[in-house]
Amino acid sequence: MNEYESLTQAVIKGDIQLAVSETRKYVDAGADVQSILDKGLIAAMDTVGENFSTGRIFVPQMLRSAKTMQECMNIIKPLFQEGDVTTKGTVVIGTVKGDLHDIGKNLVSMMLEGAGFAITDLGVDVPPDKFVQKAQEVGADVVGMSALLSITMPGMPATIEALTASGLKEKVKVIVGGAPVTEKYANEIDADGYAPDAATAVVEVKKLLGIS
Amino acid sequence: MGITSQFYRPPTAEHIKAVDLTGRRILGESGIRITDRSCLDELRRAGAAVDYDSERVRFPGDWLDDILQTAPRRFVLYSRDGRNDVHLGEGKVHFTNGGRVFQILNMATGGSRRTMLRDVARTAALVDRLDNIRFYIIACQAHDIDAENYHLNDFYNSFNHTTKHVMGGCDHVHGAEQMWKLASIVAGGEEKFRERPFASVITNPISPLTIESTTLSILRFCSTHGIPVTCAPAPIAGATAPATLAGTLAQMHAEALAGVALTQVFQPGAKVLYGAVPSAMDLRTMSFTMGSVETALMNAFAVHLAKLYDLPIYASGGTTESKRPDIQSGVEKMFSSLLVAMAGGDCIHLAAGMLDSCNSISYEQYVIDNEVIGMIHRVLAGIEVNEETLAFDVVNKVGPGGNYVIEDHTIEHMMDEYFYPVLAVRSNFDIWEGRGRPDMLTRAHDMVERILEENSDGLLDRTVIAAITEAFPGLRNG
Repeated sequence: MNEYESLTQAVIKGDIQLAVSETRKYVDAGADVQSILDKGLIAAMDTVGENFSTGRIFVPQMLRSAKTMQECMNIIKPLFQEGDVTTKGTVVIGTVKGDLHDIGKNLVSMMLEGAGFAITDLGVDVPPDKFVQKAQEVGADVVGMSALLSITMPGMPATIEALTASGLKEKVKVIVGGAPVTEKYANEIDADGYAPDAATAVVEVKKLLGIS
Repeated sequence: MGITSQFYRPPTAEHIKAVDLTGRRILGESGIRITDRSCLDELRRAGAAVDYDSERVRFPGDWLDDILQTAPRRFVLYSRDGRNDVHLGEGKVHFTNGGRVFQILNMATGGSRRTMLRDVARTAALVDRLDNIRFYIIACQAHDIDAENYHLNDFYNSFNHTTKHVMGGCDHVHGAEQMWKLASIVAGGEEKFRERPFASVITNPISPLTIESTTLSILRFCSTHGIPVTCAPAPIAGATAPATLAGTLAQMHAEALAGVALTQVFQPGAKVLYGAVPSAMDLRTMSFTMGSVETALMNAFAVHLAKLYDLPIYASGGTTESKRPDIQSGVEKMFSSLLVAMAGGDCIHLAAGMLDSCNSISYEQYVIDNEVIGMIHRVLAGIEVNEETLAFDVVNKVGPGGNYVIEDHTIEHMMDEYFYPVLAVRSNFDIWEGRGRPDMLTRAHDMVERILEENSDGLLDRTVIAAITEAFPGLRNG
């Protein structure tokens, strides 16, 4: 039984209110923030990850636990010295120009958000320059593009060209997806990553950013 | 357990009544042919109209209604451990497999072989682990067992591999007696088995309108020993019954009611199921077609005939003509199980494991049918509508543009609102391809291997096995 058991259990259950109050309790009692993070929160998410991969919990429960952990992080983050904690990364995401389909893109957004990434969702029908402008503005680590229609897919290479022209292409990782998009197509248009579904998108983004 | 049905009623009340009346007329005028002299005497004493010369027993309407009065409207097909008791007559639908096939498919080679005692043990182990198959019907013939100890061995191997209720066909009263003695040892005494009979027996009349002496003696033995039983007619439209479906149903109804009535003559209050296995011929070739759409329709109708008398029914569904698990078997099994389930059949047998007009089984098919039945259970459960499920509050909370993924409401309802298939492929194309293009059959095969590997040991206690072995030297393990 670890000393943060009640916090760990609250995160595993996805009980945001309880986890936040437990975190406050430990912080107020003067516990070391690094150990709250390691032994309380990360230990909980290890269990959650294991429960998910063995099929004991479903996606909403996993995301709920991730959200709970995020809320707890918001409390302890200011207490770390600068540079001690790295955020997972910032993702700018959208459905490309001419395409109004957003279900897949929304699923990817939700999953990434749940996994701890900061998400800027540009919505649908997003022209290349808007991707560039927003990526610059928020200092994106990743630009994610989605398309459902084969006729709108050219919006992807167009956006990549715009990123290259603005000098951003070297600084961000580009990931693409959507029903007609394939790994082969992603390679052809010089995207950095491709994912066939939302769960894989999280794995792929982590891989692109070197996060285990 | 069991699911309540509420939607499907193919025949009108008027049509149900018309078939019932015709069935009763058949019982009153043609009657049933019974050759067994002592049985004829018993029926005469009980008040039936017996014609010894033509060996016919006619059932006057009033007498029939009186006799049927004592048949229980509700009873339980007990499991040994109480975890899978099947409560009949409560408006719930329970699926089970079917029995006595002669061959099994080998999915690895595409070939087939004769079934053996080990196939009884293995199919029992499969059914034990498949939640949607509510009890076990002894699945196949054991070609490696001699006639003398046949039912001793097939029931023993069933008991040893499932704690669910076991139902089996018996070829002779000796087999039913062996089963009863065996079950009494397993139960820890005759009285205990009578209290919670965890095994039951299937018999059949011969269509049209004949009940054999052997069948009668089995019916009598079961009725007087507290063993649930059915005498399930299997008329074939166009061959052993009229070509019209209504005509086949009327004849089947007469045969089924006769079976129920006989058990009540032998022992008032005997636990009996109204039996229905109507099917049809393909008259182009005179092929017997258990998997026809007409078979499904007639079984759905038969459920309403049994309900007219408030009798639990042993109906048939999930049948297919296909020789292997494929598109045809998927289509035929789904519509036939679904129709009979939506009509509200208490027991729907033949619905798991069987192929080839009920002549073959495949292990994989049990697992696939378990999933098909899971979908049907979900259909029967319907859409729950109440303040909580209408979800106004959470819609209001999330608002335009939000999402529901991590809302409490989602997590609270994600288990009970959805059926989660295990075998059906739901991933997208690339992932499916990356996983080696699995399909239901390949996944079913993996699941079968897993279940059989985990359940190779028998379930019966060593001391029970010792007692059984002492009582029956002819016992074998499959």
